[in-house]
Amino acid sequence: MNILREMVGEQIEYRELLASIARRDLMLRYKQTVMGFGWAIFMPVLNTIIFSVIFMRVAPVETPVPYPIYAFCGLTAWNFFASTLRFALSSLTSNPSLVTKVYFPREIFPFAAVAVGLVDFAVASLVLFAMMAYYRIEIGWTVLLLPIVVLAQVILTAAVALLLAMGNLFYRDVKYLFEVVLSVAMFATSVVYPVDRVGGWLGALLALNPMTHILDAYRAVLLERQLPGPAFAASAALGVAALALSWWRFHLAEYEFAESL
Amino acid sequence: MPRVFDAQPAVTFDAVWKKFRRGERHDSLRDLLPALIKRGLRPNAAALGAEEFWAVEDVSFEARAGEALAIIGPNGAGKSTILKLLTKILRPTKGQAAVRGRVGALIEVAAGFHPDLTGRENVYLQGAIMHMKRAEIAAKFDDIVEFAGLAPFIDTPVKRYSSGMNARLGFSIAAHLDPDVLLIDEVLAVGDMAFQQRCIERMHAFKRQGVSIVFVSHNLQAVANLCERAIYLQRGVRAQGPSLEVIEQYVRASDRQQAATGSGTVEIVGGELFDHRGEPAPVVEPGQVMTLRVSYRAHAPVSDLLFGFLAHRSTDSLLVYDANFSSGELALRPVRPGDQFSVDFRFRAHLTRGQYHLACHVFDTATQEYTSRMSPVGIFTVREDRTFAGIADLQVTSTLAGSRSREAAPGIAGQL
Repeated sequence: MNILREMVGEQIEYRELLASIARRDLMLRYKQTVMGFGWAIFMPVLNTIIFSVIFMRVAPVETPVPYPIYAFCGLTAWNFFASTLRFALSSLTSNPSLVTKVYFPREIFPFAAVAVGLVDFAVASLVLFAMMAYYRIEIGWTVLLLPIVVLAQVILTAAVALLLAMGNLFYRDVKYLFEVVLSVAMFATSVVYPVDRVGGWLGALLALNPMTHILDAYRAVLLERQLPGPAFAASAALGVAALALSWWRFHLAEYEFAESL
Repeated sequence: MPRVFDAQPAVTFDAVWKKFRRGERHDSLRDLLPALIKRGLRPNAAALGAEEFWAVEDVSFEARAGEALAIIGPNGAGKSTILKLLTKILRPTKGQAAVRGRVGALIEVAAGFHPDLTGRENVYLQGAIMHMKRAEIAAKFDDIVEFAGLAPFIDTPVKRYSSGMNARLGFSIAAHLDPDVLLIDEVLAVGDMAFQQRCIERMHAFKRQGVSIVFVSHNLQAVANLCERAIYLQRGVRAQGPSLEVIEQYVRASDRQQAATGSGTVEIVGGELFDHRGEPAPVVEPGQVMTLRVSYRAHAPVSDLLFGFLAHRSTDSLLVYDANFSSGELALRPVRPGDQFSVDFRFRAHLTRGQYHLACHVFDTATQEYTSRMSPVGIFTVREDRTFAGIADLQVTSTLAGSRSREAAPGIAGQL
């Protein structure tokens, strides 16, 4: 309990630093770019076009809402997850002078990565709302549950971000392994097609993926005016447990960071 | 803001040991398994493995409010590691390192700077890294920029700054912290003379406000001025105590390696230092007459020699005096192998407080080479309380040459 109080207390004490580092990373990300935040929209839009061609013309797949908006919703949320993790992974190793020379809670680096990803996500979702208007999708009261779905994703993302940042600091293999796992994971999640169509033992296995239920929860509350199912609740709970565990591990290992970098 | 000067130490370092690993750690998964197995096999974490060494070996000290402590020693003695243990960047292998209150660290003051951000953006970022509140930085922003002398460039990306400008801005941010404990690591090496002087004044001001300071530096003069106590590290603690005494030991130890170089035809055997009563006198007052008696032995016939006498300030090796005395002046006849003689160098120590060491050499004018050199031949300390800094005792007196005053108007006096 004491260590938990220390972990959270430190974050509250250093909240302004978290904001400063996040602001720095955000500024740097789009400094000297012409498109600026346009890049946050560009990737999901491009991927939506590609997958719309594949899954509407080549191998049509049945979706509860028009395919482009189904895919864009999934891709935007997935992009938040993937780009945050990619950034968090190297957040400790790309700041060696801060990690080895100045003291503050190291969690700030992966957490700042989540904050930056969240801003990009917010920008990209503007396009989603525009698409909803285009497809005349009504907004129901279930949209009020959207913050809970976002929070569930933030928590799960933060849990994985902490582990990746720490893992990559000790073993640089993690970086290469991550790219491989990530590209497989996208197709093991309901990003551009519903994985429950897979069926069989593989389908049962894929149903355990918490990201699928989080993405489906976005579609439920935004596009289908439905409540997220119990699978989402289980995924959210899993995320909380994962965050507690990975944060605790991270906190214990923090003192070795300066020596290992 | 006045502080409470309490008896509790602000900095405590209690029997601290810190182990480091030589060479690379296992950085990839391939090396992980063997490493894990080894770790499991070694039962005692406090014992040294084959690839390990003690970077800090049983060091203890404390500093109270308003006290300044120096850590000196050669490179790699563990000085910076101690500061990292105090800032909690590293954790001791054994023992306890603790700091009470807010810590300000003048270590890598520009560590958080990002080259693509402007000076202004970096001030806010670095301030946050040093744990200042945003409102606090905003309030001190103009002072920070002014102190650094960078007002015209504050909206320029720092990648266009010179390294000196970079360091000045970083130091300036740190100098506007409001710490209880200040850790300083060799920051005086940056910036021009005027800026260095401002930095030193700032540190003295911090100390007067009751800030505890731990100061790591190779600038022994700055150490002597700022710190009452010092620790000399070299494979463990070599000396610990009043800073002048510790500095003397450090200077002696590093000087010993330089003694005795030259052709050797006339060798310096050794020297003794006396005060005017003939007593060995390591501590004297300004202006006191002293004698350095140096003995020589000849190993070859030589006729024309120059006997050099040099004095350096120990803390910064500043050359205070350098003169040669010829064998003609001394009425010394040409020497033959086996001859022994000694020379008395009589001088007045017109110096301000500090430590000084004397060096000697013998120069053969015929061959144009040194036959022998020795440093130090003698070491002495000048003790006085008048001067604040400086080197020569100018024997300044001050007398009132005249005085004028007006009587205060009664109305004003009444109000006061």
